[in-house]
Amino acid sequence: MGDNNVNLPPGFRFYPTDEELVVHFLQRKAALLPCHPDVIPDLDLYPYDPWELNGKALAEGNQWYFYSRRTQNRNTSNGYWKPMGIDEPVVNSSSKKVGMKKYFLFYIGEGPAGIKTNWIMQEYRLSDCDSSSSRSSKRRAHSKIDHSKWVVCRVYERSSDDDDDGTELSCLDEVFLSLDDLDEISLPN
Amino acid sequence: MPENMSISVNGQSQVPPGFRFHPTEEELLQYYLRKKVSYEKIDLDVIRDVDLNKLEPWDIQERCKIGTTPQNDWYFFSHKDKKYPTGTRTNRATAAGFWKATGRDKVIYSNCRRIGMRKTLVFYKGRAPHGQKSDWIMHEYRLDDNIVETNVSNAMGEGTQEEGWVVCRIFKKKNHHKTLDSPISSSLTAETRNLMFSSSNEGALEQILEYMGRNCKEDSEANNGTRFLRPIETAISSGYPDSFMKLPSLESPNSTSSQNCYQPMMTGNEGSITNQLSGDPNSVYHNDSGLTNWAALDRLVASQLNGQTETSRQLACFNDHNMAYCSPTDHHDLQLPALRSSSISSGRSYHGTHQDYNSEIDLWSFTRSSSSSLSSSDPLCHVVNASV
Repeated sequence: MGDNNVNLPPGFRFYPTDEELVVHFLQRKAALLPCHPDVIPDLDLYPYDPWELNGKALAEGNQWYFYSRRTQNRNTSNGYWKPMGIDEPVVNSSSKKVGMKKYFLFYIGEGPAGIKTNWIMQEYRLSDCDSSSSRSSKRRAHSKIDHSKWVVCRVYERSSDDDDDGTELSCLDEVFLSLDDLDEISLPN
Repeated sequence: MPENMSISVNGQSQVPPGFRFHPTEEELLQYYLRKKVSYEKIDLDVIRDVDLNKLEPWDIQERCKIGTTPQNDWYFFSHKDKKYPTGTRTNRATAAGFWKATGRDKVIYSNCRRIGMRKTLVFYKGRAPHGQKSDWIMHEYRLDDNIVETNVSNAMGEGTQEEGWVVCRIFKKKNHHKTLDSPISSSLTAETRNLMFSSSNEGALEQILEYMGRNCKEDSEANNGTRFLRPIETAISSGYPDSFMKLPSLESPNSTSSQNCYQPMMTGNEGSITNQLSGDPNSVYHNDSGLTNWAALDRLVASQLNGQTETSRQLACFNDHNMAYCSPTDHHDLQLPALRSSSISSGRSYHGTHQDYNSEIDLWSFTRSSSSSLSSSDPLCHVVNASV
């Protein structure tokens, strides 16, 4: 589980782009092609609360990845996922739409009176056009599981922590940078 | 399967899909740079050597590719050996421009132990002093093996470690929250945007000014201390950026003077002094959100400007909770000594306010020329200013 079976030197982490999640992981999953590396576990309908994902889903930092069947029922034992109303297309490098990304927010309790949490889920699904080809062979698709109904999910707890991992300028660096503009003398240091 | 997973920067195999080289600062220092300086073999040639004087940032981007996956940042080792003929500063000029340091160096911790420093540099095209600032940023990490805890000037990270290997990361400053990995469409709400990118943005300075302005006004009403605040208010109300020049410079005008400012008085406390002086005092805000970071910065800036009890509380907090500054979550580079030392020149005018505010400790007790008034029960008595 996790990236333990991926033999990479320190510093390598599972930080897939949206495109990679859809094109590499979801499309291959749906097409029953083997995924290399096969790091994302399949949680089927995943009736788990987000905090139960640890040990079940692929964990990277504060994010969890897993496959799931597409479903309307997003209830878990202690709450439910409610769509945030944000749907955005996932495009590949040649700007072709390859999938959709939908945001959910986790609520504790029973809808619609649940209590908001900071848990967010991004659910990636393939574009509908991708399944159109299977429509021609309707009978066969009927008899088998429709693998285009798989989704891949990324769950994370919204954190207001502005963790400075060095990949962005800190707030104060920005200030200093702006102050540098006002320097009359700029000597290389 | 693992045999398929190996990577090679220049070979045929590559990083498996979805994986990125995204090392923590600790990994960069403790694993990669430590191996580099001790001539240990690093299994995979992930981080290459770059002659900073020979390559432009956009060339580094080409040279330091890892696999074929898109990258937002690039890593390399660089050996600091060239100096400007006029001094001890590292020559980081290229054919097309030069790297110029900005801000103050940040201390990097690992398990509460200081392991190194990070310097931030900006690439300017052209030649000083007429260079044109670019969006290229470099973080230069150096190991800090021999922290001489008694030598505070070392702890300040000034004037030392100007030779040897460093590990660097370059990236392009994000201007409009556009990222390679997650292009956020305009359909996203501002809230979602914020939660996904809580880091700083272009509006940082404006935000600071806004907060400063608000806080200064509040303080002036509360304390009737308007005579000390008027220049700031004027500067803010009359607009940015020209009037910002009227603020005391945040940059220390003279690094030697700032080094002299910190002489440990109580030898038994050297470790904690080093931490206090070089550590990021803001790590006490380790639970703060981005918004309250601003508030923290706000408070610090405000206290720097009118030196009052707010600061004493913060400083007292450092003394009470020594572990607080071991927190690895340094939210920003705001360093108390940096702010304080930068205002040495203006510090004198604030001495009077010390009595006015009737606070037992204030920030400016750092700058007082005489240590005699500091009793041994004063939590700050181990830090005095010898140079003002």
